[in-house]
Amino acid sequence: MQSVNDQKAPEREGATEPEPKNATISIRNLDFLYGENQVLHDVSLDIFPNEVMAFIGPSGCGKSTLLRCFNRMNDLVEGAKIGKGSIEIHGTDLQDQSVDVIELRKKVGMVFQKSNPFPKSIYQNVAYGLQIQGLKSKKIIDEKVEESLRKAALWEEVKDRLNENAYGLSGGQQQRLCIARTLAVEPEIILMDEPCSALDPVATGRVEELIFGLKAEYTIVVVTHNMQQAGRVSDRTAFFYLGKLIECDLTKKIFLNPSKKETEDYISGKFG
Amino acid sequence: MKPNDQDKKNPFVRRFSHERIQETIMFGILRSMTFFVLFCAAFLFWDILSKGSTKIFEGDGLINWEFLTEDPQTLHVTKDGETEIKLSSKKYYKLKDEKMLQKWNAFKQGPDYDAALERLNLGIKAIRKEWTEDGLQKAKVEFIARERESSLGKFSFWKELATDPQTTASDFELEIEKVPETISQFILGHLERESGRLAEVEGEIRNFRARQYPLIENPTEASIPKIESAYLDLLEELPTLLTEATTNFGREIQTNYSSFIKTGGPKAFANLAEAIEAYGPIRQSLLGKNGGQEAWDEMQACLAPFRQSMEITLPSKDYAYSGGGIFPAIIGTLLLVLGAMLIAIVLGVFCAIFLAEYGKPGKFLSLVRLAILNLAGVPSIIFGLFGFGLFVIFLDWNVSLLAGWFTLAFMVLPIVITASEEALRSIPQGFRESSLALGATKWTMIRTSVIPYAMPGILTSSILGVARAAGETAPIMFTAAYAKRSELPWEGLEHWTDFFFQGVMALPYHIYVVSAKIPQNEYTQDMQYGTAFVFLVLVLGIASLSIVLRNRLRKKYHW
Repeated sequence: MQSVNDQKAPEREGATEPEPKNATISIRNLDFLYGENQVLHDVSLDIFPNEVMAFIGPSGCGKSTLLRCFNRMNDLVEGAKIGKGSIEIHGTDLQDQSVDVIELRKKVGMVFQKSNPFPKSIYQNVAYGLQIQGLKSKKIIDEKVEESLRKAALWEEVKDRLNENAYGLSGGQQQRLCIARTLAVEPEIILMDEPCSALDPVATGRVEELIFGLKAEYTIVVVTHNMQQAGRVSDRTAFFYLGKLIECDLTKKIFLNPSKKETEDYISGKFG
Repeated sequence: MKPNDQDKKNPFVRRFSHERIQETIMFGILRSMTFFVLFCAAFLFWDILSKGSTKIFEGDGLINWEFLTEDPQTLHVTKDGETEIKLSSKKYYKLKDEKMLQKWNAFKQGPDYDAALERLNLGIKAIRKEWTEDGLQKAKVEFIARERESSLGKFSFWKELATDPQTTASDFELEIEKVPETISQFILGHLERESGRLAEVEGEIRNFRARQYPLIENPTEASIPKIESAYLDLLEELPTLLTEATTNFGREIQTNYSSFIKTGGPKAFANLAEAIEAYGPIRQSLLGKNGGQEAWDEMQACLAPFRQSMEITLPSKDYAYSGGGIFPAIIGTLLLVLGAMLIAIVLGVFCAIFLAEYGKPGKFLSLVRLAILNLAGVPSIIFGLFGFGLFVIFLDWNVSLLAGWFTLAFMVLPIVITASEEALRSIPQGFRESSLALGATKWTMIRTSVIPYAMPGILTSSILGVARAAGETAPIMFTAAYAKRSELPWEGLEHWTDFFFQGVMALPYHIYVVSAKIPQNEYTQDMQYGTAFVFLVLVLGIASLSIVLRNRLRKKYHW
């Protein structure tokens, strides 16, 4: 398979093709298995600082699995393992013995498909990540909670009811709360696993805006079913099909001028 | 109108069909079965509540507090004048004491009292001679002479028998080989009678018998004199013991007499009479059967008028276990439930956390599950035996709260584990994942985002399970329950740890005892149903408490 990073010059406005050696996450020839069942075949991909990378593809193509490799959430799944290849973040192999998964997850935050705030107050939800790290100072936590909620564009809506149960929020607000919760522990990379699939169009719009705004500080990887969404929020898009990375390129190019037939078929709605 | 015409007009006309009949029948069956179950439940509650309420609401007040605050007692049905009254033991004896005091006081204020007191004084004086120095010395000499004489007669008779076995055999119609055995029987029998006759020294005579047994076993012409001389030696020793005892008993009578003179109350008199009564046998063995008989008879005569004035007849019919209340049983049951609940919930929740969160599916886990499943199927009486064998016998905890707690806890463990595991599994996976994704360790994740949310479920199911199991009689009947204990669990503890090693009364066991272990009478049913009523209320109380608790926690954590 041709290396997916050998892309042509950028066509999208303002977006430039970065150099591979600066990559935040670099995946090399990754095979991934659930028991005997191989779900990723020889995937190689680089994700660069401060970009929004979108993973698209039909259900079961392995895009979520790949995403969950970045913070080793797959450790929780019985029998899940890397067959060959490696994932490196800033040059450190994640499978290395010396990598502490707890420290990794502090640096690589994750937002899930279904918004799942804890059944506690809004404040406690955001403070949770800080408290489990042993942070005691109420003042610092207060500051960070406000900062995170502001970054997640939720502060204005909830500042008067921080002590109310998070389940009193609307679906979109809940998802933004989950993002704020992730931001509070100050990650470098944010993984989003179909963050808008359970939201209505208005809420989706707000989350997308938020993602776009977060780009300045974070590296973001978004898995999505929704191709328009990928088009709206991402700088680059990777298309997966049957466990293989078919194509990865600037988003505009993928949508306007894909180089592979499968991509074109998928984009144009022939399958998936 | 013909049916055919109607068919044409109405295409949806009701048709007779197999399905329709089936539906009607099935509906009838389902409904009647449901109503039957409802009826049974209603009958059970009605039965217990109506029969139980006769005991609970008995008496003058709204609630029969005696039943709730007293321990079980014998019920005395007696007559106060013409009306029949039912009294529990405590009240009955109180009433009796009151009546006795009245009679005593009447006697005391009456004309005969002073004369009787004077006579008693003289009687005591007469008998006091027996434990003066002189009296004792005289008695000692007489005792030795008397006993010696009678013993010598016996021993010479046995010697005769041993010397001439031929004659003995024919006299007693025995085979000649049996003669020694018979003589030894005689000697042993005599010594046994002597030890019965001579109070206070029976131990010495028994010891003598044991010491001389080799000789007595095989009496011959030669051995009987040896026994005899040993016995005569013993007789020299005995009076010292007897006089010592006499002196002690005399002193006892003396002190009781002076305290009676001081107070003049019936209690002091009862003590005095008791002391004199106890002195009887001892003086008989020292003075002989008829020694000082006159003084003794006079003594008894002196006591008679006082005794009479203490005698009260309050005839009553007694029914064991039918009076008083069930307070110790209520306390016992509460203690058993609380302790067992604590142990079961701690053990069960820890086990469930391991199974639900840490256990990797495999042989070990399925083995554990099989064990839990089997444990749930074990009949409660087997748990009772298990607890009896392990805690009561092997660990030597005796019949105790601790043994009962552990037995009950083991019995409800499967319920608690299953319920807790279910509660833990019902927590959305998302909470776990998001907690881990925020950099929590596994235990932090479980502690902060699983257990708090699972707690309402765990508590409710566990408490309900335990409350149900606490009603079981079988597991506690060998391990923790007493049929009757008048002390409350916190009374009479020498050390605080004793609290855990005491048996208690329990409501279910009490119901069993009053229903099956005591003679039934017209009052036992009230007792049974009264206890059942209280027990039912208690269990419902615990259950509703757990539901209130769950609702409060649920309000705090809902998603």
